[in-house]
Amino acid sequence: MSHIPEGELALYALQPDAIAERRRADIEAHVTACAECQATYDFFTVREDDFEEALAEADTWEPMTGSATFTTLMDYGARIAQEDRDAEVILKEYIENPIRAAWDALTSRRRFRTGGVVRKLNAAAHAVHKSKPRIALTFADAAISVAEVLPDDIYPARAVYQLRGAAWKERAKAQLLLGQFPQAHDSLDHAERAYGKTPHNSLGLSLVALLRAGVFYEQGRLDEAMTMAERAERGFAHAGDEKRRMDAAFLRASITFEAGDPTRALPIFHRIIEHGENTKSADWIALGSYAAANCEVDRGNLGEASVLFHRALRTFRERGPERERLLTEWGIARVVLYGGKLADAIRRLRDVAAEFERCEMVTNAALVGLDISDALLALDRPTEIVDLAQHLFSVFTNAGMLTGALSALAYLKEAAAAKRLTKQDVAAIRAFLRRAERQPSLQFVPPPRPPADSV
Amino acid sequence: MTPAPPGEVTGAPASFEEAYLQFAPLLRKIAVKKYGIPVAEAEPLVHDVFATYFTNAADVIEVGPYLVGGICNAARHYLRRTDARDALFCGETPCAATPTESILLEVERKLLLRRLLARIGSRCRDLLQRYYVAGESTRAIADALRLKPMTVLICLSKCRKRALAAYHAMMETPRT
Repeated sequence: MSHIPEGELALYALQPDAIAERRRADIEAHVTACAECQATYDFFTVREDDFEEALAEADTWEPMTGSATFTTLMDYGARIAQEDRDAEVILKEYIENPIRAAWDALTSRRRFRTGGVVRKLNAAAHAVHKSKPRIALTFADAAISVAEVLPDDIYPARAVYQLRGAAWKERAKAQLLLGQFPQAHDSLDHAERAYGKTPHNSLGLSLVALLRAGVFYEQGRLDEAMTMAERAERGFAHAGDEKRRMDAAFLRASITFEAGDPTRALPIFHRIIEHGENTKSADWIALGSYAAANCEVDRGNLGEASVLFHRALRTFRERGPERERLLTEWGIARVVLYGGKLADAIRRLRDVAAEFERCEMVTNAALVGLDISDALLALDRPTEIVDLAQHLFSVFTNAGMLTGALSALAYLKEAAAAKRLTKQDVAAIRAFLRRAERQPSLQFVPPPRPPADSV
Repeated sequence: MTPAPPGEVTGAPASFEEAYLQFAPLLRKIAVKKYGIPVAEAEPLVHDVFATYFTNAADVIEVGPYLVGGICNAARHYLRRTDARDALFCGETPCAATPTESILLEVERKLLLRRLLARIGSRCRDLLQRYYVAGESTRAIADALRLKPMTVLICLSKCRKRALAAYHAMMETPRT
């Protein structure tokens, strides 16, 4: 028996209609009887639908053959990269010497009107917004003045609105840290409008929501802050941005804590610790532990608070930031204070206050001073409170912080000197100092006193 | 416009090219399979999502989820089901931007197939591309390559079989 030629078997398997009907019948009969030809035939007929479908899709071949979309996008990416390189060069001198007048002149020049300049200025603002918010504001203002004059169609997909949104967002961040809350809301309105023009972008609107939550929080508008924080958290979850989702969750828990509900805030902070453990993020573990410890203090669980504070402290001592380390040391000192070991607490609190002063964090130094005052009040040592208040008064004066805080400290001194200072007075001064840090124009009003004949 | 194959110097940052090659197939699949958008209509959406990302990449931490969220928003916007804001904040629970398991599986297969096609040799690659993508008949291929149609058929089958075997082997071998 002669076998069917391989080519004919291939044709029979793949294009049977190309073979005459009689010959097809012969091949079929032969293949049924001949194992060797059957195997060859099977080889040609092997099919796998997924495989065939994927082979027929153009983008399977894209890495080999390219595509119009790939070419267009890579050209665009090259343009972005070139803009960034040019901006790096032309902005170097100005970013190193950020004088506002120079920026005003600079941004009116044509060669500075590029997306690269906006990106570079946004990045510069972001880099210094925590340490030098005033300079960040200068950068953000310059970025806005460039971004707003770029043509709407300079980039595909209306992407120029991304840059505008980002510039307004950077401005709001600086304003938040400068305590310019109404202005920050206005900047966020602009950012929201810009981001809203690009339907593909969900991230920008979530960033706006998170920042707005922060502004409301600082303003003490806690309900509105909570609404925004929840919105941001959902948005980041939608965008798969786990890091920022945790930022939003942390803020949400902080708002809950600030609203006087440590019991509801606590599980959120514990979720943040868990997230830190799962992602091996020492920073999240430390921040979550610190915040959870504060909740436990308010709940009266001093033992658990101490464990959590010490866990946070290990990380902050190793990695910083210094502010968080000091806040944690302060927390531990408060645990000692509330535990009734007043002398030990006073010693620890004095150390913390001195460090805050060294770092020029004068409001925190004053708040620690109020904790010391509580301990001294309990020990009936008002003269030392007078000295402490006098010291803090000069700290504020030397720092140029001529705000209502000075009146509050003067009140502390006078009340202690007159031996009529109460725990409620200290609490009222504490609440005022915390608000005055965010709102420097706030005036101190002494707490009301019951009529003399009622006590 | 003549498409430029990846791997040639494009001037775009390598991270852009990598992001595109890794995620573009997934974005297309989501637009087409999850939202029922025609293939040709999905392509501009994919383009716009990447263009938006390239323009302000510094704000993006998680590129993959960001792009997936982007294509979901773009697809919803395209379908005019909701406006942009509702696409982002759609109720109490996060929008289901996560692609389905079957889509992820398909994309994984495609990425495997891409790696495989890069390795099977230029002759096989050329034949398979002509036949499957360009839709050329075996006779047209034979004419272009100056071969007999029968030879083309045999080569095509052998290339397919070789590719399929390699494909199965790669599917079973965990990626390193």
